[in-house]
Parts: sequence; structure tokens; C-alpha cells
Amino acid sequence: MPDDPYLNTLLMSALAVIFIIITSLGLGALARFIAKLSGSSKLRQADAFTGYLFASPWIVGFIIFVLIPLFTSLYWSFTDYRIPNHPDWVGFENYAKLILGDSGFRASLVNTLFLTVIGLPLQVGVALLLAVLLNQKMRGERIFRMSFYLPVVLGFNAAVLLCWRLMLAAGNGIINQVIRALSAKSILFSYLNRAIIYVVEVVNAFFLGITNQNFTLFNKVLEAGFPAANRVPMWVQTPLWSKMSVVILIVWGCGTMMLIFLAGLNNIPKELHEAAEVDGAGGWARFWRISFPLITPYIFYNLIVGMIAALQIFEPIYVLYRDSATLAPSAFSMVYYLWMATFRFNEIGYGSAISWLILIIILIVTLFQFRAQNRWVNYELY
Amino acid sequence: MRTKLLVLLVLASILLSACGGPAVETTSTTEPVVQVPAEPITLKVYVVDFVAGTTEPWLENEVVPAFQKLYPNVSVEFVWGTWSTFGETVAGYFAAGEGPDIINLGSEFNGLYGDELAPLNQYLGKDAWPEIENFIPGTLENVTWKGELRGLPIFAAPRFVFCRTDLMEAAGYTEQPKDFAGWVKFAEDTSKIDTATNSLTQQGFIPVDAGTMADFQWYINTIWSLGGTLYKEDGVTPNFDSAEAKAALQFNYDLKRAVYPDENVGALPAGQGSVIDEDRGGVCLWHSGWAAPALDSAIWEKIDIQPFPGDPTNFPNSKPIAVSFVDWWAVPAYSPNVEMAANFLKFVFSKDNDYKYAEAFPLIPARADAHTGFVTDNAVMKKEAELAASYSYGYAGIIEPTKLQEILQEELGALLTDQQDVQTTLTNIQTRYTQALKDGGYIK
Repeated sequence: MPDDPYLNTLLMSALAVIFIIITSLGLGALARFIAKLSGSSKLRQADAFTGYLFASPWIVGFIIFVLIPLFTSLYWSFTDYRIPNHPDWVGFENYAKLILGDSGFRASLVNTLFLTVIGLPLQVGVALLLAVLLNQKMRGERIFRMSFYLPVVLGFNAAVLLCWRLMLAAGNGIINQVIRALSAKSILFSYLNRAIIYVVEVVNAFFLGITNQNFTLFNKVLEAGFPAANRVPMWVQTPLWSKMSVVILIVWGCGTMMLIFLAGLNNIPKELHEAAEVDGAGGWARFWRISFPLITPYIFYNLIVGMIAALQIFEPIYVLYRDSATLAPSAFSMVYYLWMATFRFNEIGYGSAISWLILIIILIVTLFQFRAQNRWVNYELY
Repeated sequence: MRTKLLVLLVLASILLSACGGPAVETTSTTEPVVQVPAEPITLKVYVVDFVAGTTEPWLENEVVPAFQKLYPNVSVEFVWGTWSTFGETVAGYFAAGEGPDIINLGSEFNGLYGDELAPLNQYLGKDAWPEIENFIPGTLENVTWKGELRGLPIFAAPRFVFCRTDLMEAAGYTEQPKDFAGWVKFAEDTSKIDTATNSLTQQGFIPVDAGTMADFQWYINTIWSLGGTLYKEDGVTPNFDSAEAKAALQFNYDLKRAVYPDENVGALPAGQGSVIDEDRGGVCLWHSGWAAPALDSAIWEKIDIQPFPGDPTNFPNSKPIAVSFVDWWAVPAYSPNVEMAANFLKFVFSKDNDYKYAEAFPLIPARADAHTGFVTDNAVMKKEAELAASYSYGYAGIIEPTKLQEILQEELGALLTDQQDVQTTLTNIQTRYTQALKDGGYIK
């Protein structure tokens, strides 16, 4: 290889192209040979050659960049592989440790379940609410649609999440300033705010107790009783609020779900609503009796996609809590734990086992959802 | 047809084998492979500590040509990296057993990659290179692993206690406290809470993070300041069941409660600049100089800088320390050019070059004899450099450093948010760290 890095790159690129051409020709020839062995006509053999010749760049790429890494990670998941050492075969030891002995993974599993069970329904609910509101004919409808979809475009990038950190600051963040102002104006809002704080802290303390196997904080929260009048949520400051901050971000990113619901609402024949209206049905009744049953396939789709995304959540936790390792354990998800094992501790074998376990969990949950859809999803319109 | 197919497969395998690199024999041996550069050699250097637009042209256009006058048959290539992708990149080099001849590391990587780095005493020890004695001793601790130098330090970022004297005096203090009890009382007296918002408006003590007040480096600093150690006499068994570890942990908790009476008190308002800048609310900050106000700020007239004193009242072995974090250049054991890499290190870390390298940031040069010019011209830098020379304590010798960091942060977080008590925290740290060292093969 030449010492000059530019020449080296050019040479490697040329070799890669030659490799692709040769493997394509090889695969095409192999296909033709197999067709010949199976007694196909000359024309079929030529077709097989041409077909595989053109498909093979993708096939080769799939093999090299998907299949080989996939099976390599499966192999590594059965090894003790810590960079810079070589992998040592340990059988199911990684999986046994993960399931039976790793309290950190158990905590990440509980955190992920919390984010899924609390965050996903809220996200779907808000997306549906926004879709219903935006489905009304009104001025500036497109601007609202764009505004609500904007978070999806912006994504969970560092700048956006930094803004959220500032907005969620317990002391002078804008969210708590608004809560303080509203609490000062309305005694009802003040009680509602304190009630929500109490419920959130009790629930979170309970979850923390499960993950830590220690209910000291849960007992303290119960002993402290109903929050004082000057209380505000401690968002990104205490473990009791770290997960709720992530839930807010999950809900904030509901734009894609909202668009899918909008498409679903637009697909409902207008005649159904008109007929119901003639029969005297109000807006609420029409939504529950007509719109909701007919958009259940869309809800099902959003639940499946949302569940998979929630079980793989990583970016918000990474950006919000990466620098605050004190709070991270109260919020880190399974994928965050996978990242820590693989890229912080360089434990490639253990990280691979975590990724395969996550895959299995997602498969089970998705299969369960598909099985359960017969009970509530309505496909009559489609 | 078969012949054609065979020819194709043979061609493909020839190309595939041509694409592969030379077989690499990865080895964990720490013996250097010394090669006399009989033919031209290329040194590759992976750098993450650089000020864009300043450091690169200086290294490429000034340092390398000057080095090549001494070694005409050596060329140097730089790979400019970032800390955000550092972990994966460097792990890849060591996993492959192939990569740059010199790698820029941070303090904590001493314990992570120590065994994979070439021992360099024969090139950089005082017998081979007397100039090594010009480096601040604390900075050399960071680049030493198992008694062998593994590279050379660039600059030091010691951690001091920076205190606002005006805010101290307003609370009746004329100097920084001298022991743990004094610091707890000080933090209580100088912290202020706005009852309307139930949030801090002034925070008496900030150990790195104002909000959580939980920082593993701060906790380790408090143990060391008592004369404690992280390991027992065998050098590998964790020592978190020691009296020093317990006292330090209790101090961390008491300090938190002196500032935050409970977990419902809001943190200081977020803002820009240093937390001890004018109108930010911080009274004392334990951190590196880079987290303190800008060097040209007028606020420095009202800031006192001291090493952390420990607790001499209760622990006679206490000593004032400034835990020193050092970024350094190391030579991996896989490098075929260890000796030439060591020569390049000696050249880059000559008195003048170390000065210029550190000046770009600006941070305290690791070499004490380079403490001139920008270091002595500025009163703050001068004071920091003097304190560093006297109290510098290397953040080094930590085994499985990333695991320990994670364990300490998690357990400290749990303690300081009232999820568990001091004894449970200590037991958890000791148990979990022992297990991590067993998993890593350090303890049987």
C-alpha cells in the first residue's frame, strides 16, 4: 500500500469497485450454473445470470454490512470480549448475568418500561388530540400543522435538548416560572399542580425503589405528605423527576403520529359523519362512535412503531443526563445501558448480549400487540 | 463454464486478500519493539488537544520541520480527533493492535490503557533524558503506569478552591475554612434560599456541579486530602471501607444538606460564564481554572485560590492537595516506532514547545521551567502555577477508571438524594467496585 493517504484512498476505492464487479459477475455466473444444473433452458440461464448480476451489488452489500455484523454480534454475545483483549467463549454467561444478576440492566428495563407505559399513551393521546383539532377547517391550519410537526424535523439534537434543559431548570426555567405565576393567580391551579407533583413523586419513588431494591426514598416521599404551596416540579434536578422530563420530550416529538392520525381522519367518508349529524349526533358522539373506531388501525400502527421507538429510546436521555451521571441511573434506558457497556466500558461481548436481548423483548412485545389487535382494531373500512 | 467460475472465484479471493492489511500480531506485552530507522519512517500522531487554527499550523509547519532537521528520514502525520468520538476511535486502535504511534490521552486513560502502552523509562527516564526532572511531579504521576513512564504530559489542570472574598466577608469569613466541619458550617452560612421560589440565590460551595453536588472526582479528592487511598496495600483491593472513605462520604452528604436542606430546593439560576462570576450566586467553587472566570475579568481581585485542605482536625495525615488532571501524549505498545516516537515526544515537550502548546489554551504547562511569559505575566495563572508546583496531586493509578466513575456517580447520587444512607453507599461502592475488578481480571 502507498504511504500517501490520498493515493491509498484512491487505490482502496478502485479495489472496492473491482471487487464489486467481480463478485457481481461471480454471483451471476453462480446463478446461471445453478439454473443449468436444475435443467433450465438457455434463456432462463441467461435471465438468471442477468438478474443476479444486477442484484448482486445490493446482495453483497447486505451480506457484508448487515448479515456478517449481525452474526458477528450474535457470536460476540456468547463471548467475554473486552477491548483490547480477544473474545473468549463463555456460552450463555452474558445472558444469565443480564437476566439474573445485573441490577443495572434491571434498572434500565424498569426505566424503559416506565417511559413506555407512561410516555407512549401520553404521546399517542396528545397526537390524536392535535390531529382532531387540526382536522377542523380553520384559518392558519397549515401553519399549525407545520408548527406541530417541526419538533420531528428538529429531532432530538443537542441544541434542542439544551434548550429543553434551560426551560426545565427547576429554579428559573420558563416552565416552572409559568407554573409559579399560574399558582399565584389561581388557588385551584396551585392545588392541581401540587397534586400532580405528589402523584408523580410517589410513582417515581416507587419505581426507583424497585430499581434500587430500596424503598427509603419512597417512604420519605410518603412521610413528607402533600407538597407545600411553593413547590414546583424539580424536572432535571432530582431522580424523582428525571424520567418525567424525558416523557415530556417524548410527547413533544409526537408530530409523525399526528400526521398519521390526520391521514386516518381524512380517510373517513364524510357521509358517515353527515348521516350521524342528521340523526342528531353531536361532535363528541361522532368522534367516539365513528372517527375513533375507524382510525383504530392507525392507532395500532402508531402504538407498534411508538412502542419499538420507546423501547429503543436513547438520544433524549443521552443529551439530558450524559453530563449528570448522578441522575442518569434514574432515567437510563436499555439502549443507554447498551451504549455504556459497549462504548464506555468497551465490553463488546456484554453489549452484544444486551442488544440481542433488547431485540427479543421488542419481538415479544410486538407479537403480543399483533395477537391482541383482533380485540380492538377495526378494519371494516379498509 | 466451471473453469470460468473457478477463475472468477480465484480472482475475487486474490483481490480480497489484497484488500486486507498485513497480519497483525496483537500482543499485550509491554516490551517496546525498538527499531533503528534504517529506512524512512512515518510517525502517526492522534491529537485531540488542539486549538483549531493555532495548534495544527504550529505543529505541522514549525515543530515537524524542526524535528526533521534532527531526523531527516522521519515524516510525521497528524490525525486531528475530537473528544466526542475519542473513546470509540482509540478503543478501535487498541482492539486492532494497529494505529497511530502516538495517542493523545486524558488523565483517566492511564488506568484504562496502561498495560497497552509502551514503557518508556529507557528513553524518557532521568538517566536517558535529564530534562524529565523539569516536569511538575504530579503531572508525571498521570503518565506513569506500573512504575514506567508511558508518555509525556502536555499541561496540568489542577483543581483548586476558588472563593469569592466579597461574599465570604459579607457572611463574616476572612479566609477559607481549614477542615470538614468548617466547610459545612461555611456552606450553611453563605448559602441563601429565596422562600418565594424555594430556590437558591447564593450557594456556599460548589463541587463541580452546582445542582447535584455529586461528583466522583470531588469525592476522590476528599479521600486523598485525608491521606486516604483508593486501594489497600496490595494495590488492587478497593479501600472504600476505610475510615477516610467513610468520613469523606459523610462530609459530601453534610455539605449537600448544608446547601440544600432538602431535595425540594431549586438550584441556582442557570446562566452563562463561571458560576462564581459576578451575579451568578456561587461563593466557592472546586474545579479547574477553565471553569473559573475569564483570566482578564476584574472579578479576580475578589477571588481567593487555595488547595483543598482536607480535615487535619480529625485526620492528622491530611494534606492540602490540588488534584491535577493532565492531558498527555502516549506511545502504544503496538507501535513499531517506539523509540522514534519517544524522540518526537522529547522534541514536542521541550521547554519552548511545551510552553507554546499550553499557551494556545491557555493552561499551565506541565514543565515547571516553562512557567514563564503568559504564565507569570498573569497574576492568576502565576498563582495557579505556584500552587500546582507545590500541591499538585496526580489523578492517576486508578484501575478500571470508567467503571469506578460510573459506580461512584450512581452511589453518590443515591446518597445525596436520600435514596440510601452512608453505610449502604460505602458497602455498595466496595462491593460493586470489587466485582468490577474481578470481572476485569485484576482480582481473583
